[in-house]
This record gives sequence, structure tokens and C-alpha cells, in this order.
Amino acid sequence: MSYKKLTWLCLCIMPMLSWAQGFQVNLQGQKQQGMGGAGTACMQDASSLFFNPGGASFVQGTSINLGVTPTIARGLFLDDNTHQLYKTKDPVGTPFAAYGLFSLKDSNNLKVGLAVYTPFGSTVDWEDKWAGRFALTHLQLQAIFIQPTLSYQISPKWGVGAGFIYSYGKVNLQKDIPLIDATGNYGHAELSGKANGFGYNVGIYYKPTEKLSIGLTYRSKVNMSVKAGQATFNVPSAVKDNFPDGKFKATLPLPNVGTLGFAYKANSKLDFALDINYVGWKAYDTLSFDYENNTPTLVDTKSARKYKNTFAFRGGAQYKVTPHFAARLGLAYGLSPVQNGYVTPETPDANRINYTAGLGYEFGKHLRVDVSFLFTHLNRKDTNLETNLSGTYKTNVCAPGIAVSYNF
Amino acid sequence: MKTKLLYTLLIAVTLLIGACKPKFDVPDPDKGSMDASRFVAIGSSMTAGFSDGALYYEGQQTSFVNILAEQMKAVGGGEFTTPYVSENSAGFALIPNNTTNVAAKFKLGYKTDCKNVSSLSPVRLSATENYNVFSTNIYSSGPFKNMGVPDAKSFHITYAGYGNSVATGGYYNPYFERMASNKVSASVLSDALDQNPTFFSLCIGINDALSYALAGGAADSLTTQARFDANIDNIVNQLTANGAKGVIGNIPDVTKFPFFTTIPYNNLTLDQTQANSLNTVYTPIDSTVFPNVFKAGANNFVIYDSQFSIGIRPMYEGELIVLTTPLDSVKCNSLGSLNPFHNKDILTLNEIQSIRTAIAGYNAKLQAVAQAKGLAYVDMNAFFNTVNTGVVYNGVSVNAQFVKGGAFSLDGLNLNPIGNALLANEFIKAINKTYNSTILQVDAIKYRGTIFP
Repeated sequence: MSYKKLTWLCLCIMPMLSWAQGFQVNLQGQKQQGMGGAGTACMQDASSLFFNPGGASFVQGTSINLGVTPTIARGLFLDDNTHQLYKTKDPVGTPFAAYGLFSLKDSNNLKVGLAVYTPFGSTVDWEDKWAGRFALTHLQLQAIFIQPTLSYQISPKWGVGAGFIYSYGKVNLQKDIPLIDATGNYGHAELSGKANGFGYNVGIYYKPTEKLSIGLTYRSKVNMSVKAGQATFNVPSAVKDNFPDGKFKATLPLPNVGTLGFAYKANSKLDFALDINYVGWKAYDTLSFDYENNTPTLVDTKSARKYKNTFAFRGGAQYKVTPHFAARLGLAYGLSPVQNGYVTPETPDANRINYTAGLGYEFGKHLRVDVSFLFTHLNRKDTNLETNLSGTYKTNVCAPGIAVSYNF
Repeated sequence: MKTKLLYTLLIAVTLLIGACKPKFDVPDPDKGSMDASRFVAIGSSMTAGFSDGALYYEGQQTSFVNILAEQMKAVGGGEFTTPYVSENSAGFALIPNNTTNVAAKFKLGYKTDCKNVSSLSPVRLSATENYNVFSTNIYSSGPFKNMGVPDAKSFHITYAGYGNSVATGGYYNPYFERMASNKVSASVLSDALDQNPTFFSLCIGINDALSYALAGGAADSLTTQARFDANIDNIVNQLTANGAKGVIGNIPDVTKFPFFTTIPYNNLTLDQTQANSLNTVYTPIDSTVFPNVFKAGANNFVIYDSQFSIGIRPMYEGELIVLTTPLDSVKCNSLGSLNPFHNKDILTLNEIQSIRTAIAGYNAKLQAVAQAKGLAYVDMNAFFNTVNTGVVYNGVSVNAQFVKGGAFSLDGLNLNPIGNALLANEFIKAINKTYNSTILQVDAIKYRGTIFP
């Protein structure tokens, strides 16, 4: 394998990223991505395992779908008081999704599927010595959901489905400690650990007419718990006793998502889709770290996050230019779960408009390639109540994606 | 073919990274109605950048006025000349009644006490200069925009010959001798005015109260209100005669500095045997003043007080002990118990009250003058009060606790660079408010707190 291939592969296998609503990543299917992210009532391919397990049984035949979305998120922070400008480093993340949907031999109505995808994640790496270095220098949050699923078509109009979610992830959080030694070096803390959690994804699909279909899904909350993380503190020797290295515990809730979706087939060429998400971000109320070795200096921390439940609206259209070639356009509006006073450098979130577009082409009967592109601009001004860090965060997200589907 | 595709993808991603960059439109700082071109700072230790018990290079560089001057450069401020100490110097400070040697700065180190217990403690470095450093005049590298003179009081600023070591009867300040244009005839104010300042900062008066406090109220005296008022009027009238704008800072409550608050009045720790033996000594002397007051645990120290017929009493809650009190003597030589503290080591409730009353009076005057002359005014007392309760800046907590708190330097009287940066931001806010300027604040976390070994 050549060096370049290796580099590319490295980019591909890092499931992480970005600033989609909170730390939710909504890049699970290229076709849906081209249409603003809507797909709960629009059964496209095996990616329906994520979008609506209830509708997956309506997808014809066996379907395999592999996709990746290299996501570039570039962040800037302008300190309100000093007008110093700081940027994030290493901005590429690669959320991926892999789906396999299979018919069972003795049943036409029952399908089984396996979905592996990255619905949550965040990587942010601020430049050295930035204004918020004592709040955060680096955060990497990865979560891979593995979801075996059953989908059953009750009638030509109704389908139900359910998937069990096992989630596996990693977290690495770093910040500087404002204790300086004689050579001018500041202390540094690194908290890292593996996390896992369980949940489920259920859905109903209803197709009252040839033109209209409706989907309703619920993906449960998944508590990602770090049971034996490692806390490492690099501080001047005189105060090292105050900062003993050791284990820590923490839990990060990945919120539940309820979605109501509509799809409308205007004619043989034109499809419309609309999804309304309700995200239970209220679950992320507090970020707590429970250290095994406490000292008067190193006490367990509870930082208020106070996220609120939010809506997101996703809509798009697909136009079949030829029977084999489809063009897509979409728009999404997401409300930020982060309240004023609680914006942190981990997730400098804001209300957002996602602009998306996509293309799809069928090579013969079985193979299909879909590409998409997403652009979002975030702009949030805030003074954090815990750190008093005051300024404006701007982030641009550019996410081109590609997926290959094989149906047979 | 495949390699080509991978190449193309990598190039595409690289291009996209470039195209995906957000942008900010940041307006340039504006000077408003002030003129920063010739900024002169008049004051005492804090203005001079005295820190960690000495005048030294880094402390001078990070005095709040030097930080302020650096920020003012963006709105037309010129070079802010400072009577810098050599960069390699360990710093210097006067030692009372010693005209041969000087004291170098403190750094945090380990000190072994009389009971052979080693602990973190401020330790003075070995001096790299002797007393000649004061008589070696460096005006040739001036004139100095930083006219901060450690230990100066309000009425010293206009005193001609403040640098004259030979004259008797007047005021003499060795720090000024080092930087004066003329030791015999110059005053701090005349050297400032010679530079025709367009903008000035005036932070004077702290020593009018602090010198008395440092002496435990046993020496020196509080400047009378009338004298203070007359001197402030005189200084400000002269500074503003040519239309210069400026900023006046008031005086913090010095009794809340860690120099006075670090050793608690009841830090006499005894076991039952020690308590019993003290009671057998003291109760018979005066059973009203010492009615078996000593017990196991924390006890109030004993001090001399001439107001009492027996000349001694236990300390009262709220009374303060100076940081220079020899703790070894407390631990091993019964200082503060069998050997009572002397008045010079203590601020009694009455002394604290008179210090606070004096400062309140000084501050009323400073505020009135600032208001009458349309000058910016910084309530430094309010700033220091917020430091006392704790400030969180960009995720960093600083407070007035000695060593650990980070705001104060190791002398317990002057600020660390991070404290100075926070103070400089208060000045910038006040200047911007008064003169409609938009001088940018500094990122205070770029300035250090306490250095730990």
C-alpha cells in the first residue's frame, strides 16, 4: 500500500467530527444528505435502517450501502475584550455509515439489517495558548453505533421495525491548568477513556397512497459512560500532590431523537421529503467528572451545560434528470440546544441553516453512487457563565460525502 | 487510476479546507477624544512595577501602566520609557536602616522551620546589587514615562530634591535618586511635566495609609485629609494645565491585602498541656482579661497593649498580624503567647478603623477631582474587593489568598502580572468610557500568577 493510500485510509477510519447541533452529527445517508437530511418517510436504500427501521422492509431486495463524509469544520474565536482571534486546528473529521439490509429466505415481509454509523461526535483542537486554554484545548469525542435491526412489512401500507443499539466510543478532553513553573510552562490535564452504552431505534412507516408516505421514529437516549477513564495531570512538582493521576468516571448522554417525516411523490421524476426532529438535549444538563483520588484542589467537578430540547426541520427534493441520474437539493434549519451563558469551546453551537445538494447515478442494475455536499455557517456570541470567556465563535462546516450502494 | 483518484480527492479536500474558512471583520481601535502620544504614569510601587518584594525587570515590564501603555500604542501611544532594572538582576529593595545592602526579590522555595519541617515559602534570592544601585543615576536612558516611585506618598510627588541623599530634614527616596533628571532640584512631577504629557495616569496616596499600616500603626502616620487634598489639587492642576487628559485610580483598602490577612488572629495552636500552662501564667495576672482563656485547639494570640493596665491582652477577632512576623519565633520561642506580639506587628481594631477612614476620605477627594476635571476614574478599591472574593477570567480563578490565590505577588502587597493585567483592563474600560475610545483590553491569562517550583 502506498503512502498516499495509507493517508487516505487514516482519514477514512477516524469516525468523528463536528459541530452539527450540539455534538449530534446528521450525516448518515448520502441521498438524504442531498435533500437536507430528510429521509424518515422516504425509503431510499439500506440507510433506512438508520432513518426509519419501520420502512426498511419496503426497500426492494438486499441492499448494501457504504458511505463516508469527510467533514471540514473550521472554527474561529474572537475575544470580545481583546479582539484576539484564535482558530481551531486539524479540522477534518470523517463520519461514516455502513448498512446491510437482507431479506430472509422464508419470508418476503421480514428483513434483517445491520447498521454501523456515527451519529454523535466532536473533535475540536484549539490553537496553542488560545484565550480559552484553561477551559479547553482539545476534545475528541467518538461514538460508533452498532444497530442490528428487524423490519417487518405488515401490509402494503404499513411497516414496523426495531433495532438494538450498542454504542462504543472514546473521549479525550484536555485543558491547561493555570499553574506555572519557573520555566514558564503551564500545567496540563488530560482525561481520556473508553465509553459504551445501549439504546434502541424504532420506527413506523405508513404509505396511505402511492404518492404519500409518513414515518415516525424514535431513537432512544444512550448514556455513554466512562467507567475507568485515566486522568493525567502535568503540574509543577511543588503542587503535584494536589493533582494525583488516577481513574475517573463520567457520563455523557447522547439524547433521544423523535422524528416525524413526510415524503411526497409529485410525479415519476420529482420527490419531496420533510423531516421534523425533536431532540431531547435536556438530558445534557451537567458534565460531571468523578475522580477516584480527590484532594482539596482536585475535587469532583459538575459543570452546568443546561442544554434544552430542540427542533430541527429538514426538507429537500429529488429530481430524476434521467432514469439513472438524480439531482437533489435541500435545506435544514436547526435550533441550538445550547442556551446563552452556556456556550463552551467544546461545542460552540448556534442556530443553523444547512444548505445541501447531491447527485446520484446508477451504473447498471445493481450499483449506485451518490454524492452530496453540505455547507453550514455558525455564528454565536456569548459570555460563558462558568469561565467568563467572552467572545464570538464562527464555524464553517463543509461536508462532501460519497456512498456506494449495491442492490440485488 | 486509483492512485490518481486518491490524489484528486486529497487535493479537493485540501482546497475545501481553504475555502471553508470563516472570516471576521474587526474594527481598528480608536483613540476617541484622548491623545495617547505622550503618556506619563505617576504613582508609587504599583505604578513602578514593584513586585515580589523588589523592583525587578519582569515586574516593571508587567506593571499595570506598562501593560496599559502597550495597549495604547494601537491608538497612537509612543514609546513608554521605564527606568528598567537590568534583566539579569535579582531585583532590589530598601532594607530598613541599611545603606550598604539591598534585598532581592522573593521566589517560592522550600524553607525548613525551627521544628525541621520543610514547606513552600517565599524565599529571598541573593542580591546581585548593593546600595550603590540607587546612587547610580540612569536618567541618560530617560526621560521616563513611567514615573512610578516605590514608597512615594501624595506630598512627595511635588517635592523638589526628592532624590537628594545629602540634604537633611527633607524627603529622600533612593528609587527616585536613581531615575531623577536632577537629584537636587527635580521632583517626580517636574520630571513628568518636562515631557509635556498628553495623557497621564495618577495613582498616588496608597502609601499615605500603607506606610502607617506596614508599621503596625506604631510608626509613621496617616496623611491628614487637608494635606492630601491640597497635594492632589496641586498635582492635578499642574498635569491638566496644558489640557492633558488622564485617568485617576483610587486607593484600595490596604488592610485586606494578604500581607495583613494571611496570619489569622487566632492562629495560636495549643494542646491541652500547653493551654493549661499558659492559663497558669496568665490567669493570675488578670483574671478579667485572661479568665482561663487558653484551650486545646486554636487560640487568640497575646499582644502588648498599653491601653490595658497590665499592658497585655488577647487579640480580638478582626485584628491583623503583619506577614513579616517571624513564624519560627511563634512556633519555637512562644512569640504571641508567653512573649506577646509587639504593637508594630499588629493592626488593632482602632488602627484598622483609622486606616479605613483615611482611605475613604482620600478616595472621596480623588473621585471629586476626577469628576471636576472630567478625567477617567478607576475604583481600584472596588477592583481589589472583587479580587478578594475571587475573579474568574477566561477560566482562570484568581483571588487574594497569599501564594495560592495567584493575584498577589510574594510580598503580599503588590500584584502578580495576571493581577496587573486585570487591573490594566479596569483602566482601559474607564478610559474608553470617559473618552469614547476603543482601546483593546489584554488577555490577562497571558500574564502569569504565582510561579511554583
